[in-house]
Amino acid sequence: MHGAAQARKYRLQGAGLDLALPYLMLAPGLTIVLGVLVYPLWDGLRASTKAYRYGSPVGDIGLQNYVRLWSDVQFLNSLWVTVKFVALSVSFEAVLGFALALFCLREFQGIRLLRTVLIIPMVVTPVVVAIVFRLIYASDAGMLTALSQAMGGGAVQILGNPVNAFVGLVVLDVWEWTPLMFLILLAGLQSLPHEPFEAARVDGAGAWRVFADLTFPMMRPVLAVAIVLRTIDAFGTFDQVFVLTRGGPGEATRLISIYGYDTAFKFQQTGYAAALFVTIGLVVLALAFSAIRLLRRVDAS
Amino acid sequence: MMHSSRLTRRSVIRGGLGLALATTALTTLGLPMPARAAGKKVIIGAFADGGLTPFKQKIIPLAREQGFDIQFLEDEYGVTLEKWFADAQSGAGQYDLYLLDDPWVPQFGAANVLEDLGAGGIDGSDKDWIGSMIDMGYWPPQAGPRVKGFENAKPTLICVPFVGDLQTLTYRNDVFTNGAPKTWDEVIARGKEGVAAGKIKYPVVFRGVTGNPIVTSWYPIFLSFGGSFFDDKWNPIFNSAEGKASADFFVGTMKQNAPSGVVEFDSDQEGAAILGGDAGAIIQYSGNALKADDPAQTKVAGKLDFGVVPKQQSAIAQMGIFIAGVPKSAPNKANAIEFLKWYVSAETQAKLSEAGSIPVKRSAFGIAKPGNRLIPVALKQLDAGALPRPRTPDWAKVEELLGIELNKALQAGSGGGAALDNAAKQVKDYLTTAGYY
Repeated sequence: MHGAAQARKYRLQGAGLDLALPYLMLAPGLTIVLGVLVYPLWDGLRASTKAYRYGSPVGDIGLQNYVRLWSDVQFLNSLWVTVKFVALSVSFEAVLGFALALFCLREFQGIRLLRTVLIIPMVVTPVVVAIVFRLIYASDAGMLTALSQAMGGGAVQILGNPVNAFVGLVVLDVWEWTPLMFLILLAGLQSLPHEPFEAARVDGAGAWRVFADLTFPMMRPVLAVAIVLRTIDAFGTFDQVFVLTRGGPGEATRLISIYGYDTAFKFQQTGYAAALFVTIGLVVLALAFSAIRLLRRVDAS
Repeated sequence: MMHSSRLTRRSVIRGGLGLALATTALTTLGLPMPARAAGKKVIIGAFADGGLTPFKQKIIPLAREQGFDIQFLEDEYGVTLEKWFADAQSGAGQYDLYLLDDPWVPQFGAANVLEDLGAGGIDGSDKDWIGSMIDMGYWPPQAGPRVKGFENAKPTLICVPFVGDLQTLTYRNDVFTNGAPKTWDEVIARGKEGVAAGKIKYPVVFRGVTGNPIVTSWYPIFLSFGGSFFDDKWNPIFNSAEGKASADFFVGTMKQNAPSGVVEFDSDQEGAAILGGDAGAIIQYSGNALKADDPAQTKVAGKLDFGVVPKQQSAIAQMGIFIAGVPKSAPNKANAIEFLKWYVSAETQAKLSEAGSIPVKRSAFGIAKPGNRLIPVALKQLDAGALPRPRTPDWAKVEELLGIELNKALQAGSGGGAALDNAAKQVKDYLTTAGYY
């Protein structure tokens, strides 16, 4: 009798533990996610509906911050600069990354070393990259100016000219992030089946035909994922601009992240900045969803 | 008999708990004992600037002799305002003392995050203070226009002047052989002669980077042309005829006589130009000026002299003092206030002057051997005229708007007046949104 009761107790304890264990295991992770992701997001959304003065909330204003954004010339300019920056950088990175991945797909002596060297820029801290590029671009003592002067030219104006500074920023980004594209696309290329390519070769297809009819179509999903990932990341570019140009000259390189940062922390317009970042978050999400839908439609057709 | 070592769920949980307990115990044992009473510990936050070098080198050791345990935490200028404001507002308590740039005082004052130092026993009415400097420590300001919400508030001493920095002229004495140039026209004309004689490469150098740097460089020219920034109702009037003339001179004549890349120049590049011997004259704060006699830091030691800023109508410089505030969240508040009382005493200020830094008490300017020949010139500039920037909590935004427009005009090399018109409109719009009118 006693033994049976004991056995039942153990069974019940076991069943209880079975029920609770998954939740217990999830609890730490869930708590962290709630604390560092969900709560700040919720708090940011709440802040975006408030007016702030001198860093403190002074009242609810509904969606006024969101409405104000679209008549804020500085916001619209920053958004435009960001869109241009993202479009140019990601396009160049995709093309260069793809080209490098195709090149490095081949096996030859030293290819492993080359692949390693190619991903080095990606692992350098962005702030360090920006400092180095500043040393290259500086008109008074920069490397480009030194080169130009050695060849009898004058000072090279990069950071003091709006167009050059913008292009300089794109070059920096392309240098740093093409390796990421390269890495993703190389992995994609290596995972493609060999049979279609062998068949094409037997049929006498040239390199361009193979690329246009096989490689590119088969790589489209991977390419889309890489582009979407890089686009989302590029929208958040901050440290390189902060160090290199602080958004100048004028507003030529003032990305939305810099404008948002200044608005939130320098000018203490917390609610307005929250509305700005929520809007940008939604824009980026919309872009990502559109890209994925477009991809599905293309694949289906 | 064989013992089974099967891994069960229960054993994993027990093992995990045991590991967690052991880690906690080890961590606890490894921690130092709870700190004893802080004593006279004072955590000072400052932005990196050569103007604080004498304080760091000579006054901190003296403070240690007085029993203060000083922790001096430096950051880059561009990030300190936001960092300290966040610290003060969140009550994080990372600092006991901020060494603020004076235009930031209204922002901290309006947010009510700094201690009342008058209540702490610091005498703001001491006649030995440089009047224009101690005035900057009050919020709301004792004189001049006040922003809405603070019209009737009693001015409170929330900051005390720490280093009396202000702009003065640094010039090459082998180019300007008759002493400091008196007018801007003379700066340019004599500077050109210096270039022609191969002594220098450019008559002038300044900061052209958008935002605070370019506004700081333009401001003394604006003041010397007779400009005023706001009227007493906070309407921007910097785009007056005088203001426009100063902006046109700045983006036109000054740019033509400065290094070609001046649009991207900040304090490091302008410092390199004057200390490296390339530029003939510069309006600057004490940070680089203090290096003028040190052969290790300049190629033209002995060739750099100081003077009052040139004038067009008057010789007025911009003040940009280091000013100390104690956050309400300071962990060692009493120590910080005690330190400040010691620091601003006439005796310590005399030591500061001896160390080569610009003091904040008039008596310290008169000591027998000031540690730097810039100090008497700074007093001359104070007497000739030195004005702070407008006392508004929104100065950072105003400066940003103006800085962008000035920088665009500087790129073009013309259109200074139009830039001021654009900036005035944007400033007015912004202040309207902020409820100024």
